[in-house]
Amino acid sequence: MTEIDPITGQPAAIVYRDVHKSFGQFHILRGLNLTVPRGRITVIIGRSGTGKSVTIKHVMGLMRPDKGRIWVGEDELTAMNDRDLRTVRTRFGVVFQHAALFDSMNVFENIAFPLREHERRTEREVQARVYQLLASVGLQGSEGKMPSELSGGMAKRVGLARALVRNPEFLLYDEPTTGLDPILTAAMDHLIAETQRAHPSLTSLIISHDMHAVLTIADKIVMLFDGVVAHEGTPDYFRNSDDALIRQFLTGSLDGPMKV
Amino acid sequence: MTIPSAGDVPVLPPLWLRVVLLPVRLIEMLGAWVLSFREVAEETGRWARIFAMGLLNFFIPPFRLRLIIGQCEFIGVQSLPIILLASAFTGAVFTLQSYRAFALFGAEAMVGGTVGVALTRELGPTLTGLLVTGRAGSAIAAELGSMRVTEQIDALDAMAVDPVNYLVKPRMLASLLMMPLLTATFDFVGVAGSYIVGIYMLRMSEPDFMVRLRDWVDWDDIWGGLLKATVFGLIMGSVACYKGFYTRGGAKGVGVATTTSVVVSSVAILIANFFIAWALP
Repeated sequence: MTEIDPITGQPAAIVYRDVHKSFGQFHILRGLNLTVPRGRITVIIGRSGTGKSVTIKHVMGLMRPDKGRIWVGEDELTAMNDRDLRTVRTRFGVVFQHAALFDSMNVFENIAFPLREHERRTEREVQARVYQLLASVGLQGSEGKMPSELSGGMAKRVGLARALVRNPEFLLYDEPTTGLDPILTAAMDHLIAETQRAHPSLTSLIISHDMHAVLTIADKIVMLFDGVVAHEGTPDYFRNSDDALIRQFLTGSLDGPMKV
Repeated sequence: MTIPSAGDVPVLPPLWLRVVLLPVRLIEMLGAWVLSFREVAEETGRWARIFAMGLLNFFIPPFRLRLIIGQCEFIGVQSLPIILLASAFTGAVFTLQSYRAFALFGAEAMVGGTVGVALTRELGPTLTGLLVTGRAGSAIAAELGSMRVTEQIDALDAMAVDPVNYLVKPRMLASLLMMPLLTATFDFVGVAGSYIVGIYMLRMSEPDFMVRLRDWVDWDDIWGGLLKATVFGLIMGSVACYKGFYTRGGAKGVGVATTTSVVVSSVAILIANFFIAWALP
């Protein structure tokens, strides 16, 4: 499916068309239409429970929609069996909210894990790649540490290195700065922007609440509300908008269309 | 209207109303029973899925020998101290008690054979199953449970690594292999404990002890016990993996998964023990 994203003018890398998903009586996604541009950073914002994580889990094939279609590149996920979905997943890297490092392995083994599982590489090649990534996330010398010895910020950087190790086409971040102090948040945002600069063909999709970062690093912002896209545009569009929903989210006000 | 004080006995509705409402109450109870049955059926279904997928994965690569050996070490080798202690003392106390009972009618010579049969057929596999469930089954459920709640299992899925192949297979296979080996150890050390108490403490005749032991304990008893142990290993491994794999609800969920995995495995082992004993000659 070749489509051009109207916001960035880039070809579409991921497309959702009329996607619905319910859990029991909760109708989370209610006809989601979303285009993620190739080679750019797209950030999804929205209140907790609006379906941001569910949206990301669909693109990984970890969940299937009740109705609607999803394309990743030319491949239609919704028409695939489990084995093909697994192949699609190898094109993704994921940075989890709490890093999700394997606590039985040290930092080196965590980063090397996807390489050792999916690629036939010599130990020397694996080492070279892991040390290169450790340096790029600023964690030289931490390769022998166990996840329990890492601070939250370090764990997230190891998570990013692990997600990048196989040069994925797509990089998904699930709230990459949640739980970090303002300095570490800024450092993580900088790292995300740097990562994008270093890999121009990478398509990044971020779920975030951190409005400052959203406005600084995003090429496209998508705002979810009630299971559909309420607004999408460039950071400038969001900065200058008078829409009540956007203003309330940007200012964190209690008064507005979103009720607490 | 008077407000009842704390000491007042609650007033029941009048009898006629209770009689009228009785069918409603009965239907309510029936409904609750059906719902709880549905829950059990759902749980059994999900366990069966993990069990079947785990077994199927025994034959699906990659085989990750290092993980399988690691689990064998954890479930088998690290359970050895408790198995050695428990078996030696089980054999010893069983000898002591049966000696006192058999002495009442002058049948002390039968102690060796009795202990041998009891250990190989029943006590060896059952006690090993329960002890290993308490030690290793709980640890497996807790480990997989905390991996689930910290998204490590999702991370495996996201990296296109099948979590059943990576996590469940080595644990189920190691349980299946180690349980009979530990049971064989239990049988041997239990008989040794019995021998030491019988010969050195109770001054029994050594030839009597050994002859009865050799005559009464058949290879069939030993193989039957080891077959049981294999089944118990499968039960423990699959239940612990299932409970851990489907853990929900943070630290509390991990606690619940650990406890229920031990309770369910232990009860299932005891029930399976009866049916295997019934089926075997």
